Amino acid sequence: MRDEVRKIQELLEQQAYVTDVAVATSLYLAMALGKPLLVEGPAGVGKTEIAKVLARALDTNLIRLQCYEGLDATTALYEWNYPKQLLHIKLQESSPASAAEKEESIFGESFLLKRPLLQAITDHTRSPVLLIDEVDRSDEEFEAFLLEVLSEFQVTIPEIGSIRATHRPHVVLTSNRSRELSDALRRRCLYLWIDYPSFDKELQIVRNKVPQISETLSSELTRVIQAVRTLSLAKVPGVAETLDWAAALVALNVSQISQDVVSETRGCFLKDEADLRKFDAEVDADRLKEMLSPAR
Amino acid sequence: MTGPATQVGLLTNTVLFCRALREQGLVVTPAEAVDAIRTVGLIDANDREETFLSLRSVLTSRVEEFPVFEELFEVFWVRLAGTPQPWKVVERETESSLKQRVRPSSPPSERKELGFFLEHWAEASSNDAEPINVPLASSAESNAEKDLRRLGSNDLEEIARVARRIVKKLASRPSRRWKPVRRGTRVNLRRSLRNSLKTGGELIDLSFRRRKQKKTRLVVICDVSGSMDLYSRLFLQFVYGLQNSFARVETFVFSTSLQRITGHLKNRAYEQALDSLSANVRGWSGGTLIGQSIATFNSVWPTLVDRRTIVVILSDGWDTGEPDELASSLGSLKRRAGRLIWLNPLLGSATYQPLTRGMQAALPHIDVFAPLHDLASLRALEPHLVL
Repeated sequence: MRDEVRKIQELLEQQAYVTDVAVATSLYLAMALGKPLLVEGPAGVGKTEIAKVLARALDTNLIRLQCYEGLDATTALYEWNYPKQLLHIKLQESSPASAAEKEESIFGESFLLKRPLLQAITDHTRSPVLLIDEVDRSDEEFEAFLLEVLSEFQVTIPEIGSIRATHRPHVVLTSNRSRELSDALRRRCLYLWIDYPSFDKELQIVRNKVPQISETLSSELTRVIQAVRTLSLAKVPGVAETLDWAAALVALNVSQISQDVVSETRGCFLKDEADLRKFDAEVDADRLKEMLSPAR
Repeated sequence: MTGPATQVGLLTNTVLFCRALREQGLVVTPAEAVDAIRTVGLIDANDREETFLSLRSVLTSRVEEFPVFEELFEVFWVRLAGTPQPWKVVERETESSLKQRVRPSSPPSERKELGFFLEHWAEASSNDAEPINVPLASSAESNAEKDLRRLGSNDLEEIARVARRIVKKLASRPSRRWKPVRRGTRVNLRRSLRNSLKTGGELIDLSFRRRKQKKTRLVVICDVSGSMDLYSRLFLQFVYGLQNSFARVETFVFSTSLQRITGHLKNRAYEQALDSLSANVRGWSGGTLIGQSIATFNSVWPTLVDRRTIVVILSDGWDTGEPDELASSLGSLKRRAGRLIWLNPLLGSATYQPLTRGMQAALPHIDVFAPLHDLASLRALEPHLVL
């Protein structure tokens, strides 16, 4: 294994992020090749976390662009601060400056509202981490615009001119696959798929994030969650749910998982009525013991 | 330092691998091949796992492509392991590369590789003209080619997923047009300046504007005659998914006569909806009178169709009625609809030609003539269902 990859893995683990070689390798390549990294996977497996941890590990800024339907360039890139401009014009009405000078002054940087994408390319000290979260939620028009920015790291503001990134940001895109992303965008990115963690990995995550938890409880709880994931539910619990449940059990001073404990706290990891019923049926059929047995 | 011949060896290996992936339907363009070559230079190419993970990151772009990649990588790794120091050709200036220099600069095995590559290059580029080699967006999906007749419960979930996606698109599409609003993110400068005249040119209140929402309506007319039975059942499942999350869908079925089933599909569990359908729909799986049914639709429900409506007809075109009637009724429907889509399951087979009289009469009036026989074709519908 290359030292750089191992170093990245260590850096991530210092930030209490339990990772594997696949993640570290992809991050290393994304940085070495200077390409954006597209992270896909089911909800709640820590896709967004990658960017946050990366920013912490590199000790740099995290700039986040949360995507949603109807997101457009003015909210993602820049906008002029109209009220401030108008006020400024009013204040300058009696000043002897010429119209051209006044115009120049109101299209200066102090009247520019920098949105995430512009922030990311105007960081002059170091490369920030740019997280473009849930890119599948934006519409195709925005995706096309994003492609343009991501390929050149340069934007043009008519009143100012072109701005080019002095420090290329490290770009991480996440997608929940609610919409098929265009091949053009996919091709521009490196690809990383994160699945639900294995038992060992999840156990380690639980112990890292909820340090107060006892050893037996953490492994029992992780086993139940792993078993629940195989039930073909509508909303499969993610790692976030596991951690919620772990924290809840710790707060309730539970030392061992029993049928009662599970039925009282199952709302921590089951968020759908039909799923609750399905799970209850399993528990009523006395399958909890099976779930808890280490043989699984 | 690396000799030119070993560089060619690396190029050959990587490009061949990329070509093999492309032939399996992955979108691997020369740009990806270049990245792959750069990648091999960046990593420890003797580490199998690292090479695998790195190349997978570079050369795939969706999780469905992983099995294909894995399989081909296996083949390549084994094949390469047979040649001395397979990937290890662009080592940087390290001790090992000094040792490497002792090797003959152009081992015979690599020359053979080059020849192999050139042969294949010629072969592949002549193939490139054929559409079969063109990687399709979803062709990597292993079950994509599976005929709708052999679907499992997983596939039904996939159908529901496609339906949800389309619904999302139909439900809210920002139009290019603006409308003034009281509060918003974009200043309506024109209106703001106009308003400022009231106050003698002082801008006091800002007006805003935002994009109008496009509202698309969907009308689905589904053939349930005997020849279409299997497909229409599955298509109705898809429509059911659409209808339950999206209000502006109207559904009709026909065989010899037309019937509106919007109400039967709405707000019920799917099994209930099916029961209600089979109890109420006459002539399910009977003969076919397409033209007459569409004429009925035109005369009884004329207000359902306007420029913002997409009409989808699902039928194999085996019409027992008059082709003239079909042509004229479709023509009048087409004039009013935003888009007219005809889905024909038979179009999925390579040998099918739309030669039936009904289909011949219909073709001039159709905007989109598409197959509907497998999941991939259902997914391919997505762009057509948005105006």
